[in-house]
Amino acid sequence: MINPRPSRRRFLAGLGATGTAALLSGCVTSTSSSKSSSDGAVTLQSNLSAPQAKAAMEDVVAAYGKKGGVSLNTVAAETFRTQLPTYLTSANPPDVYTWYPGSVAEAYAKKDLLLGLDDLWGTSDLKRYSKALNSLCTSSSGKKVFVPATYYWWGMFYRKSNFAKWGVSEPKTWDDFLDLCDKLKSKGVAPIGLGAGGNTPWVASAWFDYLDIRINGAKYHRGLLAGQHRFDDPEVRKVFDRWQEVLPYFDPNGTAGAFQDATTVLLNGRSGMMLIGTFFADAAPKDALDDIDFFRFPVIDPKVPLAEEAPTDGYFASARTGRKDGVLDLLGYLATAEAQELYIKGSSGTVLPCHPDAKDAGTPLVKKGRKHIEEAAELTQYFNRDSSDALQPTADTALTKFLAKPKEIGSILTDWQREAEKIWNA
Amino acid sequence: MAVLTAPHRKSPVPAPSRGGRGRGPGRTPPLVLAFVLVPLLVEAVWVFWPALQGFYLALTSWDGVSAPKFVGLGNFREMAGDDTFRGAMGHTVLWLVLFGGLSALLGLATALLLQQERRGIGFYRAALFLPVVFSLVATALVWQAIYQPDGVLNQLLESLGLGSLRHAWLADQDTALYAVIVPALWRQIGYVMVLYLAGLKGIDPALYEAAKVDGASAWQRFRHVTLPQLRSVNAVVLSVIVIDSLRSFDVVWSLTRGGPYHSSELLSTYMYSTAFQSLRLGYGSALAVVIFLLAFGVIASYLVRAFREAD
Repeated sequence: MINPRPSRRRFLAGLGATGTAALLSGCVTSTSSSKSSSDGAVTLQSNLSAPQAKAAMEDVVAAYGKKGGVSLNTVAAETFRTQLPTYLTSANPPDVYTWYPGSVAEAYAKKDLLLGLDDLWGTSDLKRYSKALNSLCTSSSGKKVFVPATYYWWGMFYRKSNFAKWGVSEPKTWDDFLDLCDKLKSKGVAPIGLGAGGNTPWVASAWFDYLDIRINGAKYHRGLLAGQHRFDDPEVRKVFDRWQEVLPYFDPNGTAGAFQDATTVLLNGRSGMMLIGTFFADAAPKDALDDIDFFRFPVIDPKVPLAEEAPTDGYFASARTGRKDGVLDLLGYLATAEAQELYIKGSSGTVLPCHPDAKDAGTPLVKKGRKHIEEAAELTQYFNRDSSDALQPTADTALTKFLAKPKEIGSILTDWQREAEKIWNA
Repeated sequence: MAVLTAPHRKSPVPAPSRGGRGRGPGRTPPLVLAFVLVPLLVEAVWVFWPALQGFYLALTSWDGVSAPKFVGLGNFREMAGDDTFRGAMGHTVLWLVLFGGLSALLGLATALLLQQERRGIGFYRAALFLPVVFSLVATALVWQAIYQPDGVLNQLLESLGLGSLRHAWLADQDTALYAVIVPALWRQIGYVMVLYLAGLKGIDPALYEAAKVDGASAWQRFRHVTLPQLRSVNAVVLSVIVIDSLRSFDVVWSLTRGGPYHSSELLSTYMYSTAFQSLRLGYGSALAVVIFLLAFGVIASYLVRAFREAD
């Protein structure tokens, strides 16, 4: 067995040498720029993997399928999020994606990865979409890159029957709100549920967002998330000072479970209310839905223009698609009232359509939500959508630490700024 | 590099090996060569090549979208001043000691306990090995329910009159890491036990008899017969434990995601979150290189020592 050894070694040596050579040539992570093939159906990559939302997307695709071929590919939300950069930079990418407008889409638009949709916006129903949506879907270079479909709202949700039982009502001002918390606490109820544990620590960002847009305004908030201000600025400190006023009213188990668990606690009447988006209704039993109501996050400074969080969902397309005509046709359909109504009918029905003529689910809750958004002077998207998914974990760390050790806020904000700079400079 | 220089050392070997194919008595048949080379090629493409890429990426700053930018040792310099990295390193060492040490000790203890063939012993072995069969993610879901504020553990404490110990186990920075180690340990003990059972089976019973005849006590038999005989198994167990500790990820990620605020962060979870959440793939690769060096260093130094002793 002596004979084969040198040859095997030589083979290994050769292998190592080729490996090193290829490594040095730097082709390891180079990206290809070829266009994908132009035959076959348009592919729609969807992250809407919750059962109801997935079924609703299938309805929409089936309805469109009468006109042209499209293959829907539903991917688990977390996989979709981590794989999206890979999809967009691959040589043969999927054509259309569910995703978010604003700074999230802008990050890809800046790298020329998104298909320009100016023609579509100029010729279809999109012409009549609101001005706010128009600017939300425009990249910094002035190009339209996004087709909005639906949006939803955040608010302080509670159970009507429980509020009646406890003899309390919706507060309007910050002081009313503190009174309400006091009253609930005296009845042995945890006034404010959270659900920032488990796999949903990002829920805590809603409190940061709302306090910031109530105290410093939406404009400052967007600038802060874009890196134009610092997290250790006195303005941000004011947000946390205000937060400390309500901290004693938070459910002590607020960071121990996910928002789905906190929803159960809320519906069982063990917590009083919860700052959450309408998606939480997906985790609620159908019979409890009629009993759910919400109120606006209390105004703190009346001089600050009223802003609300209204995250918009929709679609963008890869710049490398080889089926541009099919893609534009599909996106045009997704922008119609018909497609959006179909989606709302199939899903839990708590989202609002972006098309000005499209009908919403028509329940009292949704009507109230629509009015709630229309009254706002400014709309924000949510922490990760106004910044990036990469910045979100820095907020999660800072906010869970604040909830556990509110006295250390000074060092928490310094750390937050340092971590955020790493993301902004990356 | 050792591989590259190897042929030079071998150069004095006479020519036959380089000579014509298929000649000479000791020639390897092409089929055997194919059996060796084809898997090697597959391994090279799917394992060595990505690994080499990882080393290259560790020297870059890359967001996964644009082309990677070469930054030299910048990532490693940043690591030196990174508190989260230092914390994760400390937690990983603690994990190695607690998870590794306890699973080796308890695995050996259960193996010794369950090595005799008695009636019903198969049931106990199976029961201890059962957790290994479950996916760690599924295991984590069950333990998450146990650790809930209203979960089994807290209810148990309550019913025992220890209500003051009630706790949000996974949400408290003081208990999160330990709460995550327990499910990992629960699974690992069964695995280590099977390794040791196999090792114990291989010990010649005549050795015990001889020791008994010489008047050795139970402890002396264990100390001077069993332990030395288990040396080769120990090498395997050590490698398994070190590798499993450093790659422990699924159970931590499903239970706490390294939180609250990095208090249960391991190198593996920190690597994942920097690479795929913060999208700093260069820094994430640098962390992966550190993990590799640690695992490789510990195992290599042990193996070198073990071989030296064997010579």
